[in-house]
Amino acid sequence: MSTLPSPTSTSSRSTSFPFPSIYSFPPFFTRQPNSQTWTSQLSLWNSLILAYCRYNRIWRIDLNTAIEWDLFNNRDINRSLKLETSKEVLDSMVKKGDAEWVSGSGSHVSKNTSAIIYWRRPEEWANIIADWIDSTGQKNTILTLYEIAEGDLSLSQDFRGIDPTILRKALDVLIRRGQAQIMKSADGEEAGVKFFGSQ
Amino acid sequence: MGNYSSRPNRKITKQDTAILDMKIQRDKLQQYQRRIQVILDRERAIAQQCLEKGDKERARLALRKRKYQAQLLVKTDSQLETLERLTQSIEFALVEKDVLFGLQQGSQVLREINREMSMDKVERLLDESADGIAYQNEVSQMLSNSITNSEEAEIEEELEAMRREEVFLRLHIHVIHTNYLLQLVKNIPTVPETELPQPQRVTAEREAEPEEEAEEPARKASKSRNRTEPLMA
Repeated sequence: MSTLPSPTSTSSRSTSFPFPSIYSFPPFFTRQPNSQTWTSQLSLWNSLILAYCRYNRIWRIDLNTAIEWDLFNNRDINRSLKLETSKEVLDSMVKKGDAEWVSGSGSHVSKNTSAIIYWRRPEEWANIIADWIDSTGQKNTILTLYEIAEGDLSLSQDFRGIDPTILRKALDVLIRRGQAQIMKSADGEEAGVKFFGSQ
Repeated sequence: MGNYSSRPNRKITKQDTAILDMKIQRDKLQQYQRRIQVILDRERAIAQQCLEKGDKERARLALRKRKYQAQLLVKTDSQLETLERLTQSIEFALVEKDVLFGLQQGSQVLREINREMSMDKVERLLDESADGIAYQNEVSQMLSNSITNSEEAEIEEELEAMRREEVFLRLHIHVIHTNYLLQLVKNIPTVPETELPQPQRVTAEREAEPEEEAEEPARKASKSRNRTEPLMA
């Protein structure tokens, strides 16, 4: 994962992502009955999804649409992962802490299909943001959450376009450390954050 | 910025919320701009499509809409600029306030230190030390006095002892002296009873002798006899 090239432009899911060789191995797309094989298959899928999301800067996966992505479809060998299997894969990732199910908004009442992918854990994001605040001299200043993710200053940062939920979790880490405080806007929404110097 | 006091830290102030509100406004403007940009692009695409279809009128309409949106974009740009400038000046004012606070604290500390070293205090301190020195002198004096008082008798005794010793010594010396004198008296040689020869004559004789000896020893005897005679007479 660590040797991947740096992320390029967002949102384009058609990729130049260098898939690993296992991706061209047909049985990889079928759930293996042998539990030991399945475990290693799960961990391979786990790494692949993390790497893919990191490469394409994908913060969330909604399986209903993502099942169509090339991530789960290798058209060259004409294989694709079943929705059920992909759910199992994500389930195991959630157990490992590499992902988190998000309760589907409104219509998705039934089973989880949407998950946040932590190709960096909230703690890591917290450190990255804290370092960024430090190095850009923004201690004791107020930033909007939007500004952190989309502002001019964060343009070349790794957390550019970060998912609000992930950002909020990262900030929670900083709040617990006493390095930040959430601020609410006039209409009561959590909209900003004030950073403090670490002590 | 200031880490020097716990006061401005870790607290959301009114200014903070004001800044936040302005920044939220700025975010909204930026988002609005993005939306307009999308509309601009879309209108342009529509105009192009209409032109391709030969619908000049609709193309013109789309371009007119586009123009209007573009004007909005320019307006929001200037609004954004105003907003950002205001935010920045507030933030700068806060920094200045921090600096002022620091200066205030510094001068206050300085004043406190100076107050602790006021002239009165220094004078009093000097007085006090002078008093202390005087007191110390008094104490030592009293101590020496008390020594005389308490050990007066001893000292007196010692003195008496010394005096006695001296008297004894003197007596002793006297005795020794007397003894010595007695001894001396015993050893004194007896005064000679014979008269001592006349010193003048002896010297005269001695003076005359060398001259006459050179002349004649025979005449010497007669001459000396001659000389003595008149004296005897």
